[in-house]
Amino acid sequence: MAAGTDALEGVRLVYRRFSAFHRFNHYLVMISFFGLVLTGIPLKFKDSLWAEFFMGLIGGVEGAGFIHRVMAVFNFTYFFLEMGYMSWYVAARKGPIFGPDSIVPSKKDWQDIKGMFRWFLGRGPKPRFNRFTYWEKFDFWALLAGTFLIGGTGLMMWFPEFTTSFLPGVSLNVALVLHSNEAFLATGVIFIFVHFFSAHGRPESFPADEVIFSGSLPLDHYIADRPAEYENRLRAGTLDQVVRPAPTGPMTRVNSWLMVVFSAVALFAATYTMLLVVWPLLF
Amino acid sequence: MKTVAGAAGGFAKEFTCLRRGAGFGILAFILLVLLTGEVAWAQESAQSAEGDNGCLVCHGQEYLGSVEVDGAAQDLFVGPEAYEESAHGLLPCASCHIGFTHDNPHQMVTNAEFFAETAREACRNCHADQFEMYQQSYHGELSRGGVAGGVLAPGCTDCHGMHQVQRVDTLEYRQDIQQICGQCHGGRTDTFLDTYHGKAITLGREASATCVDCHGSHFILPTTNPMSTLSEANHLDTCQTCHPDADEGFTSFLVHIQPTSTDAPLIVFAVAIFYISMIVVVFAFGGIHTLLYIYRGLKNGLYFGKGGHH
Repeated sequence: MAAGTDALEGVRLVYRRFSAFHRFNHYLVMISFFGLVLTGIPLKFKDSLWAEFFMGLIGGVEGAGFIHRVMAVFNFTYFFLEMGYMSWYVAARKGPIFGPDSIVPSKKDWQDIKGMFRWFLGRGPKPRFNRFTYWEKFDFWALLAGTFLIGGTGLMMWFPEFTTSFLPGVSLNVALVLHSNEAFLATGVIFIFVHFFSAHGRPESFPADEVIFSGSLPLDHYIADRPAEYENRLRAGTLDQVVRPAPTGPMTRVNSWLMVVFSAVALFAATYTMLLVVWPLLF
Repeated sequence: MKTVAGAAGGFAKEFTCLRRGAGFGILAFILLVLLTGEVAWAQESAQSAEGDNGCLVCHGQEYLGSVEVDGAAQDLFVGPEAYEESAHGLLPCASCHIGFTHDNPHQMVTNAEFFAETAREACRNCHADQFEMYQQSYHGELSRGGVAGGVLAPGCTDCHGMHQVQRVDTLEYRQDIQQICGQCHGGRTDTFLDTYHGKAITLGREASATCVDCHGSHFILPTTNPMSTLSEANHLDTCQTCHPDADEGFTSFLVHIQPTSTDAPLIVFAVAIFYISMIVVVFAFGGIHTLLYIYRGLKNGLYFGKGGHH
């Protein structure tokens, strides 16, 4: 076992990846994103057999519109908290902005993408990832940019009279096209093509990764999944910043339950979306 | 036997109201009905519209067929249930079919123009104000010209229906309006249905604007006409009916555009095309990445612990 952890012999060790703040923010994102998609997608796919049925379940267009706006406020809360955190991180020089532990894209991400495709095709070893993989960086920045764009255009349409008091009416046309398409893109990325798979479906995490709920993951899992970060920390002697004894007590059980509940909700949300989106393509 | 007796009683009651000349036809029909064993049903339909003077005895029969009026088949069947549920369900047939009698065949239906004229007069009898507005509208103007670009202008019944005429303030009718207008203005219906108003009315939000809320109904005019609800002078007032805080900028929202068409404003077109490309590229890349990842995971036995770290 690594230097600096010898004193903890016999104790199960975990790698602490997400702080309480980040987990709280992720809950805000999860709940608001589900709520927004569930109430928004039937409107986009109004001709789907399921649209009217789902709309009926969530209180009709007006009920759904109300839920959509409440969820939008949750979503804005996450956005401003995250922007505030990032500003504070930079302003207070909490840590490096660039470098191996950073969420900021780097040259290594491009090499990792190429490396992963080589590994997929059996032509090379699996890349050794740092703290954040390229798909995690994509998730993060796409979500942040998407929230800004969808949120901004959503507000424009929420208050159309105010918007057109200083912008031409065609801005609402742009807002509708952008809101609807960016939301569809985000839904596809989160539910189908990227996030659910990369967080839970990829072989290293399957069937579910508890880390965003509990904040930590088993040390062996960490070492296998983020070898570059592990080695960097080993070399720099900073492993003790992130390695600690596994948490005990009631919260661990609560976190496990939350993971099960949210996994079920996520599966439902993905199915719901697929029904609305794919159905009209088939029939 | 009991049903037959009851049916005969029912018909006897009708019979007293009938003109003598039609008696033979009705008797023959009763015989036919009895023979085909549809006694109870016929009795019900014959009495359905209060004071229908027996019209539905024949016209309530689905097999009555059709007659040719100016080369077009005119179905003679009037669904008794549907008529009864219509807004006019309590009116006797002759209140619209003015002057129609039991003479068979009804001599008065000679050609389509006469038919339409009678229908209009019938509507005018009760709805004089609406009729006057219609007369002054673009649709009314076209109807007097007979033909507009080879298409007959719509009369009352083209938008309101005939025997199934509905109240216009129901959700169902407000949802139907888009399709009714779309019979002639199809492309405009499609673009409207993609706006928030269109989506919301489709999914049952009654308070959403429909075609007629902006364009007007009986007094509908081209937007180029200064009297139109959507003329430059009136556009804002029309929007303010539902959006009292709207000002001039609000009116330049474009309802009838197809974002992916080059006719759309450049910025709308550009955003639409950008997103379609993004969606295709991101979903394709994400999809391929995911499938390859699963393939490698299965091949290396990573999913079920072999060589994995679980």
